[in-house]
Amino acid sequence: MTHIRLHRPRHGAVPLLLTLVVLAALVAVVAACGGSTSASTSPSAAATTSSGVLPSPTAGSSITVVYHYPSPPKSVLDQFTAQTGVKVNWVEVGWDNLQTKIATAATSNTYFADLTDVDWSKVGQYYKTKWFLPLNPYFDVATLKADMPQIDTFASNGQQLALPFDSSFTVTTLNTKIAKAAGVSGTPATLTDYTNALKQIKAKGAVPNPLDIPFAAAEGLSTYWYQLTAAYGGQVLDASYAPQFTSPSSAGYKALQWMVNAYKTGLVPKANIGMTDYQAFTSEVAQGRVASVFSDYSGSVGSIYDVPSSSKVVGQVQYIATPGVSGPAPNLSNPDGIGIPKTAKNVAGALAFIKWFTDTQQQAIWAGLNGSSDVISGFPLPARVSSLQLLAQGNKVSGASELMTLLGSSRAEFPGPGAPPWYSQFSNAVYTNIHQAAAGAETVQQAVTNIATQVNQLKASQ
Amino acid sequence: MSGEKAPTGRKRPRKRGRFLPYILLSPLVLFIGALALYPTILTTVQAFFTVNPLDPPTRFSGLANFRALFHNPFVRESAANTALYIVVGVGLSTLFGLGIALMLQRRSRWRGVVLALVVLPWALPAVVESVIWGWIYDPTFGVLNSVLKSLGLINSYHVWVGIGRIVSIVLIEFVQVWQITPLAALLILAALQSIPQELYEAARVDGAGRWEMFRRITLPLVRPGLAVAMVESLILSLNVFDQVYVLNGFAPGGASIMMQTYQISFNNLNFGQGYALSLLATFATMLLSLLILAVVYRRVEF
Repeated sequence: MTHIRLHRPRHGAVPLLLTLVVLAALVAVVAACGGSTSASTSPSAAATTSSGVLPSPTAGSSITVVYHYPSPPKSVLDQFTAQTGVKVNWVEVGWDNLQTKIATAATSNTYFADLTDVDWSKVGQYYKTKWFLPLNPYFDVATLKADMPQIDTFASNGQQLALPFDSSFTVTTLNTKIAKAAGVSGTPATLTDYTNALKQIKAKGAVPNPLDIPFAAAEGLSTYWYQLTAAYGGQVLDASYAPQFTSPSSAGYKALQWMVNAYKTGLVPKANIGMTDYQAFTSEVAQGRVASVFSDYSGSVGSIYDVPSSSKVVGQVQYIATPGVSGPAPNLSNPDGIGIPKTAKNVAGALAFIKWFTDTQQQAIWAGLNGSSDVISGFPLPARVSSLQLLAQGNKVSGASELMTLLGSSRAEFPGPGAPPWYSQFSNAVYTNIHQAAAGAETVQQAVTNIATQVNQLKASQ
Repeated sequence: MSGEKAPTGRKRPRKRGRFLPYILLSPLVLFIGALALYPTILTTVQAFFTVNPLDPPTRFSGLANFRALFHNPFVRESAANTALYIVVGVGLSTLFGLGIALMLQRRSRWRGVVLALVVLPWALPAVVESVIWGWIYDPTFGVLNSVLKSLGLINSYHVWVGIGRIVSIVLIEFVQVWQITPLAALLILAALQSIPQELYEAARVDGAGRWEMFRRITLPLVRPGLAVAMVESLILSLNVFDQVYVLNGFAPGGASIMMQTYQISFNNLNFGQGYALSLLATFATMLLSLLILAVVYRRVEF
């Protein structure tokens, strides 16, 4: 005979409960644990030299470069080793993971790389946290500026925290085949022309939804708004970081209204509410489902749309001058930088590598000067105008001459002071509220009010 | 006097044996201490400090982090979202897990194959599953739209994730349910298999039907398994991150409390508030686990 007894849990449940508590603690804590902060220490000492003169690296030493691009070919890196005696260990880490790694390594004062990414949007933050070594003593920034138009993007309060790894800016792209099929003649030069062209493409049925705006709550959506605000003749924050978009007559307000209207009137595919910029480029533009991206990235044509193995629009998409209120609008810079973390061990080797990597010839090689075998996969454009000239002479990059003009006229999103230290929170407020406005959860007025409130709180907290 | 020596000879191995369990347990204790206990203590302490590289130095700030979190609308919204993730996750995974366990309990030649297939989602990484389900939900090419349209249930393709908050959360959590249900099924199956068959035979003799046997024998006796399965689902649902990130990014309409923890810690670099939110999540997990145990768990003795 079987006896069965059911009890409320007493001591028998205690081991189970303890296990659960430990498990819950482990899961929750590991998710958020980032190590404690500690006072910053000075970087590995490298002899301070006069501007433009680098300390000699130690032959036989090595450097670790952690970046979100694949490694250049080993044969090319070996050339650097032959010149300097410094061996390069290149580690590729995805952009998001890399930002977390930079933050955790810096806050825990732990070495992880001699060189790594300095994103344009993090410059204000890095200036304040002192996580990167200023490069002013080693490079003549004023002289470099003539050939590196985007070098200012990596300066905050006079400190040069990185040199440009590449050059990149937002630019408008248009599928000319789709536009012609819809009877759009010429290139739209103003925002009104551009909007009318999109409506015409939709009305003629060349494609049902002609415009790409990546409405997923991600950085690409913020960037799109900044570019469109510039096209409307303004900027989102002024030099003191005060919001410039709350009035309905302001450029930022109009830009946001235009984006939300475009989504609600069907100029933008409904699926874009969950699409990031890169997803939309590859699955919509490269497949010929949309005709234009107002805020595309320089380099997209060569690295995405003209790649026959993954694109159906090879040779159809062109860079056009970004339409503004009454003519071409400025293009906003968003390049990657390369800098030296404060915990770097081989500063002299890292400085030598920056000099070599950003050299005119090398920059052109990364973009295809010597053919595809020596390129860095996905490398957008060289940081130097002189490198672009080399590429244009050899006809090595799609639209090189147009890009050279656009690069010359590109400007930083936050000219002068650079990106604010709280840029990440600001961008978060921007993309979440624009996403909500497009999804119908907020009005445009509520979105701008929420963003402005967040900006004012961030300013007040500093 | 050999009689005096004998006990001494027996003492030595006993003494060694007394320490053996501790020696064997020590690696695990060290492991848990380093990876769970130390971070837990650190988190608890630092939750009461301002730890922010953008606002140095690190300093004691009492309950300021907690107050800031309660006033943060994104945190409040993500807490509400997480509550919905928990309801859907625990509810569906327990229901499906029980159903699958009851099916697997029956003897059949295909039982092994079915068991292997059922366990498969559990073995796949959450990110991989989320990408697969992202294709299913895709508003342009997704199978979901295609099937619903061919059945005449919708007229045109819909955007499923990202527009409506509740629909988004239910569909995102369904991906996690798909992943955690096998674990729930296995836990419940183990409890089912421990129920003596004599009880069912006796019930049959007394004229009980299937439903009666399920209600009066199976359900009460499977409660320990159900409780453990529900607590497991609770922990996983409360910590949902991968599925939300892949399918809906950081959109506030679906953001979970763990995504807010990540954002506050690593995006805003406000580690103090991140610690505080982790601590709150840990307490919530403990309290809800206790609640489930109090309501569902019963110790069964055969």
